[in-house]
Amino acid sequence: MQKLGCVAELDGVREELAVERQAARKVVTVCGGTGCRAPGCMPVVEAARRQLERQGLTDSTRLRVTGCHGFCEQGPIVVVDPGGLFYRHVDPEDVGEIIAVSVARDGAVERLLYVDPVEGKVRPTESDIPFYVAQDRVLLDQNRVVDPCAIEDYIAIGGYTALVKVLTGMTPESVIEEVKASGLRGRGGGGFPTGRKWELCRAAHGTERFVICNADEGDPGAFMDQGILEGNPHSVLEGMLIGAYAIGARRGYVYVRHEYPLAVHHAHVAVAEAQEAGLLGDNILGTGFSFDVRIARGAGAFICGESTALMASLEGGVGEPRPKDVHTVEEGLWRRPSNLNNVETWANVPRIVNNGAAWFAAKGTEGSKGTKVFSLTGQVKNTGLIEVAMGTSLRTIVYDIGGGGVNGHRIKAVQTGGPSGGCLPVECFDLPVDFDTLAEAGSMVGSGGMVVMDERTCMVDVAQYFLRFLQDESCGKCVPCRLGIARMLEVVTDIAEGRGTEEDLALLEDVAETVAETSLCALGKTAPNPVLSTLRYFRSEYGTHIREKRCPAGVCRALVRYEIDAEKCTGCGVCLRACPHEAIAGERKQAHVISAGVCVKCGICRDECKFDAVAIL
Amino acid sequence: MPDIVKLTIDGRTVYAPKEASVLEAALDSGICIPTLCHVPGLTPNGVCRLCIVELVEGKREKITTSCTLGVKEGMVIRANSPKVMRLRRNIAELLVAEAPNSKAIQDIAVRLGLRKVRYRFHEAECVQCGRCVRVCGEHWRSHALGFVGRGDQRKVMHPFGARPKSCRGEEACVDICPMTITPCIGPMGPGQGRLCGVCEAQTLIADRFPGTCVSCTLGRSFRCANHVWLGSKVELAKAVSRVASKVSAEEVAG
Repeated sequence: MQKLGCVAELDGVREELAVERQAARKVVTVCGGTGCRAPGCMPVVEAARRQLERQGLTDSTRLRVTGCHGFCEQGPIVVVDPGGLFYRHVDPEDVGEIIAVSVARDGAVERLLYVDPVEGKVRPTESDIPFYVAQDRVLLDQNRVVDPCAIEDYIAIGGYTALVKVLTGMTPESVIEEVKASGLRGRGGGGFPTGRKWELCRAAHGTERFVICNADEGDPGAFMDQGILEGNPHSVLEGMLIGAYAIGARRGYVYVRHEYPLAVHHAHVAVAEAQEAGLLGDNILGTGFSFDVRIARGAGAFICGESTALMASLEGGVGEPRPKDVHTVEEGLWRRPSNLNNVETWANVPRIVNNGAAWFAAKGTEGSKGTKVFSLTGQVKNTGLIEVAMGTSLRTIVYDIGGGGVNGHRIKAVQTGGPSGGCLPVECFDLPVDFDTLAEAGSMVGSGGMVVMDERTCMVDVAQYFLRFLQDESCGKCVPCRLGIARMLEVVTDIAEGRGTEEDLALLEDVAETVAETSLCALGKTAPNPVLSTLRYFRSEYGTHIREKRCPAGVCRALVRYEIDAEKCTGCGVCLRACPHEAIAGERKQAHVISAGVCVKCGICRDECKFDAVAIL
Repeated sequence: MPDIVKLTIDGRTVYAPKEASVLEAALDSGICIPTLCHVPGLTPNGVCRLCIVELVEGKREKITTSCTLGVKEGMVIRANSPKVMRLRRNIAELLVAEAPNSKAIQDIAVRLGLRKVRYRFHEAECVQCGRCVRVCGEHWRSHALGFVGRGDQRKVMHPFGARPKSCRGEEACVDICPMTITPCIGPMGPGQGRLCGVCEAQTLIADRFPGTCVSCTLGRSFRCANHVWLGSKVELAKAVSRVASKVSAEEVAG
């Protein structure tokens, strides 16, 4: 794209694009997000390209590879516009048929459309599918219409208009006022009011300032920032540009984790494109405002999502946090005032500027405004990336959007907020999801990970899992976090292995409080949440482990044993062959037995058995 | 004349130079705040968390380390509230269970009123207070020690595992290490329920004046304010002059 020297040139490009886009009769969109690449969407793209050529439709059809559409469970996803026909689980072999039926003609390939599992009805378009209907997709909607590697796509849908509005008609103070009025709070987990942070940073001493985008998302089961940065990187850049203008920064950084190769790639492409178009660099659009962005890759440390550790890492040091007695808006990166926001926060900014603070504040609850992206994962039917207004109940998210438990299993809890969050039981499912309510309930919104757990999950095991994660990911700098988490893990492991005592629960609570109150950074301060929330809501499960030496969910290996039900066993020998430890013996067509001494309780025999003859006792 | 600010610690009015930390202000005024990682003259890193205090801001209290908290005019601090004392004791318990082989840590634990350890004892040889790393890097400018790894794998090492030439072998790192002080077999050994006579006598005094420096010998081994500020400065000054003369001699010779 040619360099845009002034605002009129940007508008000119947008008008040209609109005319050009109208020429295409049909648009075939293939989801190219990480979630769809795993089941193989790239061969689908190739097949679509070949088929369009073969069927002579290349000129009248646009093929678009976008970021994540959200419904990862159904990938690879192909959508044909206009009409929005939604095809799921598309194989490369299916593409020819889709193009012949839906692109060349206006029909639909019935067998590839989404079928509602409850009512058994075909739901041909996104607007019919319950997963999408129950959502409020403000940020994610653009993912479907934007090729992340084509700045033209973003400009065509009105991209960078918010930047123009800010640069040509607003003072930095009025931008900050607008963001403050919107009630936007940081989406990275802390929930600090964004406008307030900008104001503090603007007021800080010195002339050099930085804005930073935190894309070091590391929570297990969370991929919101990945979805946005990968699918719509220009919206993040536009947000950063507006923020930089408001704060008075000339340089910005995107700190993105190396484990997100696609997000890293798309961010690089987007920055290069924006630089080429003159939307980053000196004298942007001839307004005299200059700002540039660099991309830094994180080396895979969870702690580097913490603001001061991230800045230490950006400086080239070890990613360890420092005390925040002086806040980063005063003294951050290279001891300069630095404003760090999360990907989703930045992406919200252009929308607030374009639509006004009142539009944003109209959604959500008293203390938490707007919409929030969550990644819905775990033992739920519809996993994927979702977006709802703040204040939506967990019940709506898990049952209406998520479709309820897998294989009819009863849902037991939702883990929100990743390792810093907690497990909320079904009794809390009517709580509105916002920053304050979840914090009161002992969990947190966090960056937006939601892991659904059903009755097959043991909560002691969950606590143990998160403690192990945190023990690995704590930087180890301060004593309460390093030693406290290790001791909590020791106690929980004792309980899970049948050595627990009643006093252990009081000890757990005591050490949890110490870690939460005295740790150096937010990782330590929130690290006890998984333990405290499971203790609060599932104390009886701990009790069963301690008093009865039994794991009700049959998960804690030390407390269960596997046995074959002689009545159900047909002696087929599948389990015998599957057992990696040769712990199963038995003659053909005779009931088999598991030798308890050899069995390591891996559960393979139970998964393999077609007759449900392997029982956990 | 340095600018002096006025703050309140435990209800007492305390004056301190404006660049002082709350910890320095308290120790100078005879208010006992235990420390482990703190070394006067080196950058505070807020690692051991033993020096936590409550910073009162209106109706809210925030727990933070006093070594990293700069004094401010009108600041209100609770350095020895029951909550702070309990949290400090829990931290000391974590430390002493991790490394029962250090008299410095034993003494801190006893001074904080810890009588029983609820965890299994580990035999760690390092509690990663970072005193050696900082004295080596900041004071000697040798940078011969650093932290390697993360979480429970983190440890102090020479760069790439080999002692670099920048290490002058002055052993300031050893002098300053809390693990090198031979432990007392008395107080915190596994299964031993009672303290030895020395500690019992000490804790008796300390318990009667909570939060006040009573120049207890418990402080001597971990080099708390009234014992080592002086000593350590003298030691460091001596060491500095030794190295300075050595370096200049080398320069002349080389």
